[in-house]
Amino acid sequence: MISKELWRKRSLIWDFATSDLKIRYRNSVLGFVWTFLEPLLLLAVLYVVFTNIIKSSIEFFPLYLLLGLIMWNMFTRGTQIALNSILSRAGVLTQIHIPNEIPPISAAFTSLIMLTFEMIVFGIFMIAFQFSPPQTIIVLPLIIGLEFILILGIALPLSVLNIRFRDVQFIWGVIIQVGFFITPIFYKIQILPPNVQKIIAFNPMINILNFAHNAALYGVLPTTKEVIMTVGITFLIFAIGYGIFRKLSNKIIEEL
Amino acid sequence: MSEIVINVKNVTKDFRIYHEKRNSVYEVITGYFNKRKYYERLRVLDNISFDVKKGEMFGIVGRNGMGKTTLLRLMAGIYKPDSGSIEVNGSIIPFLGLGAGFQVEMTARSNVILYGKLLGFSKKKIKEKVDEIIKFAELEKFQDTKLKNFSSGMYARLAFSTAVQVDPEIILMDEVLSVGDIGFQKKSHDTFLSFKKRGKSIVLVTHDLNAIRDNCDRAMFLNNGKIHTMGEPQKVIDAYTNYFSSP
Repeated sequence: MISKELWRKRSLIWDFATSDLKIRYRNSVLGFVWTFLEPLLLLAVLYVVFTNIIKSSIEFFPLYLLLGLIMWNMFTRGTQIALNSILSRAGVLTQIHIPNEIPPISAAFTSLIMLTFEMIVFGIFMIAFQFSPPQTIIVLPLIIGLEFILILGIALPLSVLNIRFRDVQFIWGVIIQVGFFITPIFYKIQILPPNVQKIIAFNPMINILNFAHNAALYGVLPTTKEVIMTVGITFLIFAIGYGIFRKLSNKIIEEL
Repeated sequence: MSEIVINVKNVTKDFRIYHEKRNSVYEVITGYFNKRKYYERLRVLDNISFDVKKGEMFGIVGRNGMGKTTLLRLMAGIYKPDSGSIEVNGSIIPFLGLGAGFQVEMTARSNVILYGKLLGFSKKKIKEKVDEIIKFAELEKFQDTKLKNFSSGMYARLAFSTAVQVDPEIILMDEVLSVGDIGFQKKSHDTFLSFKKRGKSIVLVTHDLNAIRDNCDRAMFLNNGKIHTMGEPQKVIDAYTNYFSSP
């Protein structure tokens, strides 16, 4: 019943997502160019830092780092935009009835759109490094799709929890900071001691990034077991997250 | 005329009035050990039942804070009732606050499109209607101006013009007839009368008793979460004015 309405109003998801992006770059001289320039500059800085100051033995390290950062950025943005998505649209939600799912879902789409731009930047870097990707890179969209579902599973509950408890945003900010270091973005997970690997194994982003790195750079596909594990955990997180959302979202508009 | 479009049955709605709002995880945890009650329940609507018939204009009067807007929000599906049920047959549009969802950084034109879609238009339909809407609002010259440069009257006119184009079967109105200058007010008034002529149902919350007397078929006086009087507009207006004159 609710999902039917969500389907009928699905075009709003896209409108919210793109209007967020448009407003992000309003009044700037370069305007839309910033969607490319921002990741390009950021990635350039990180590249200089990580290749000159911290020497790495990882093969194709610049591209390894870039891909990891891009995938991680999507996760960070999607969840953090979603965190405030319902709060920041309080004006609409208290006046017009639209499904409460729409703001957090559109936040996830905003992060997906930004990832698309950054992937174009990644393509430019691949050309610049004269890197010809293996055929297995074609599974990258599937891996991104999996990450998208993971983001949804976290974005939905965060958007309503942040209304009941305004400090959720600070807690989530800390988790994101920690997550950056316990996710193999600028290192390989194998360099960590085995027991540490076991402790941080709950982090679903580890496998997603491993899949992406292996498929896009080294021509290695994940094993069936790894795929089943990761897809299973991702959908479990989504199910729990959506459950929390449904439980809390009924009365959330009154709290705005 | 007797087909029922909104059926409100035994609806009760409570709100929490917080003495101290526990908004952080820390406060909730400490509050768990400190059982002092930090809110009280306020019954905004207490077992309300009524219906609105097709083609009818139904007025609601009452003092401030007596649950009129809450009732409209329940009918619009924005709030959910604590108990009881609300049945709505037909598309419904709430005119609660005009221009909800307007982005001041975007142009009038793109805001019309976004707002129209929020109100339930399809993308194709709103794009066909956008010129008509801007013409109705008399804002042709400003269609590519960002909304932050609009006066509040222009803003309201744009929102109102978009909303009336939706052509719903049921309209919920919360004090929005007095938008814009006198010329535009007349235009909006005429629009609503034409809605009524075309058999649309209108629920009107207002403090303007003349509007109730002249336009409504039935009315209701809502007081302390209960229906004080319901029926003929004149009877309801008398009850409402008597309530204020007698201590």
